[in-house]
Amino acid sequence: MNKEFTKGLVKDNPIFVQLLGLCPALGVSGLVVNALGMGAGVIFVMLGANIFVSLLKNFIPQKVRIPSYIVIIASFVTIVQMVMEAFAPELYNNLGVFVPLIVVNCAILGRAEAFASRNTLKDSVLDALGMGIGFTLGLTLIALVREILGAGTITLFAMGGFDGVIRIPILHLAPVRIFSLASGALLAIGLLLALFNWKSSAKRG
Amino acid sequence: MKQLASISLRLALICAVAAAVLALINSVTAPQIEYNREQRLLQALQEVSGDYEIGDAEETDAEKITARYPLSDQEGNLAGYTLRILASGYAGEMVLMAGYRLDGTVITARLLDNEETPGLGKEAEEPSYMEKFEGTGGDQRPVPQRKHELSEAQADGVTGSTITFSGIGEGIHAGSRYVAELGGEDE
Amino acid sequence: MSYISILITYIFISNFVLTQFLGLCPFIGVSRNTESAVGMGFAVIFVMSIASVVTWLVYTYVLVPLALVYLQTIAFILVIASLVQFVEMVIQKVSPPLYKALGIFLPLITTNCAVMGIALMNITSEHSLIESFVGGIAAGLGFMLALIMMSSIREQLAMKPVPKPFRGVPAAFISGGLMALAFMAFDRALLTNLLG
Repeated sequence: MNKEFTKGLVKDNPIFVQLLGLCPALGVSGLVVNALGMGAGVIFVMLGANIFVSLLKNFIPQKVRIPSYIVIIASFVTIVQMVMEAFAPELYNNLGVFVPLIVVNCAILGRAEAFASRNTLKDSVLDALGMGIGFTLGLTLIALVREILGAGTITLFAMGGFDGVIRIPILHLAPVRIFSLASGALLAIGLLLALFNWKSSAKRG
Repeated sequence: MKQLASISLRLALICAVAAAVLALINSVTAPQIEYNREQRLLQALQEVSGDYEIGDAEETDAEKITARYPLSDQEGNLAGYTLRILASGYAGEMVLMAGYRLDGTVITARLLDNEETPGLGKEAEEPSYMEKFEGTGGDQRPVPQRKHELSEAQADGVTGSTITFSGIGEGIHAGSRYVAELGGEDE
Repeated sequence: MSYISILITYIFISNFVLTQFLGLCPFIGVSRNTESAVGMGFAVIFVMSIASVVTWLVYTYVLVPLALVYLQTIAFILVIASLVQFVEMVIQKVSPPLYKALGIFLPLITTNCAVMGIALMNITSEHSLIESFVGGIAAGLGFMLALIMMSSIREQLAMKPVPKPFRGVPAAFISGGLMALAFMAFDRALLTNLLG
């Protein structure tokens, strides 16, 4: 596998290693389905932004590069916003103000500035996919921890006779509700980060 | 100077292209969004209005009641009102849709949008949450506005936030009184 | 909503950092010592209150009359980005030491979700111009409060033996979580009790 793609998955994971894009990560991490929806939005925006920044890197004047990137990113965010509101209104409602806030997701501007503006189109696409999927993985992990502990359920997409909610026996009758609240999100990510640190230091030493 | 002109021209070009693309996509999605919104409103309206015919929306002068729909029975007589009510919750304002008979008795209610805490307030979005209010508000049974006014069995069902419950209860109560004051009069 | 209730709401009940997760990057990044936390706090209050007013004006007098509401996200982020640039220039002129301390963080305010967040929330809550301004100040004050509390905690933590995997950021998040727990004590009932 190409290293531009794989680096975003674990080694430079935007959430757990670079600590970027945390606001949306925590804000929508109450339900697994929201995390996946937000992840899809971020992958799309990141991909679009990286493609256009990479293509236009010689056209965009150095002095106004940040505003230019922001315009490109904001356009893709608006596209996501409009399409999601039209065709997935329920998801749009759940994500609320966090959809337009993708625009200030530092992970996206970070990739455009640090990678796409000085690399080829192919590498930029791979980089966006890797980082986007890494972001989604991290977000889903937090959502899994929060939803399983906080509500005793895993909410996915409803299909056919299945209503999309997996209920975990016992836990779902008496969940640890604090994990579904704001403070639970901060606690969950703190504990997960500590786990990551412990794992990686154990590997090294 | 020439360089500055070139920079601003390029930035303006990027902005213009972006705006044009968005305008194009907007022209596709905007009608769909409007349609979704109307469907949601219509669905809630029908659910809370029992079997009555729903009339056109009318403006109201009450502060927390943003719209009212007169309801009529099969013979075309005024039978009640469905109201759009603003209620305050744990994390902001909630919009309720509630149907009433003329004496202020609640047919049933639905929560439209809210920003309540997930896991606490969201249970109020379930239709079964509103069963506790059904049939209250007439002369015999007042609308419950606090959790302790419910029977024990019903109160156990409200596992979520007490504040959400009070907010909804107060909203529905205000609507009930509004309809009772209107009485059978059309204004 | 009265101005006082807007203040109480954004500082305590829906504190941006501790209940809405907005502005977490600087919350973790700039909270190592109290001095820079205070500086960052003032910079954010300043940007937020002006951004609230300007985005409100742009929305009400440009986007709505021209039926361009769908350009909201682009317009707001551009307004905020230029404002931040302006504030950066002003601080550089007026107070070089402050600029030195905040230098690298100022551009980060552009991507501070809290600023964009208050701009969007003013619109969705249908605030008036003055309410938006108060909202911006209140959200900024709430941010500064959380930031200062966090930095005091971290200054203490730095002198305590923390288990290695928890050192630094993980401990900061967990402290933040505990703070958020305490902030849950503030809810709408507070407004009802205070203001009737």
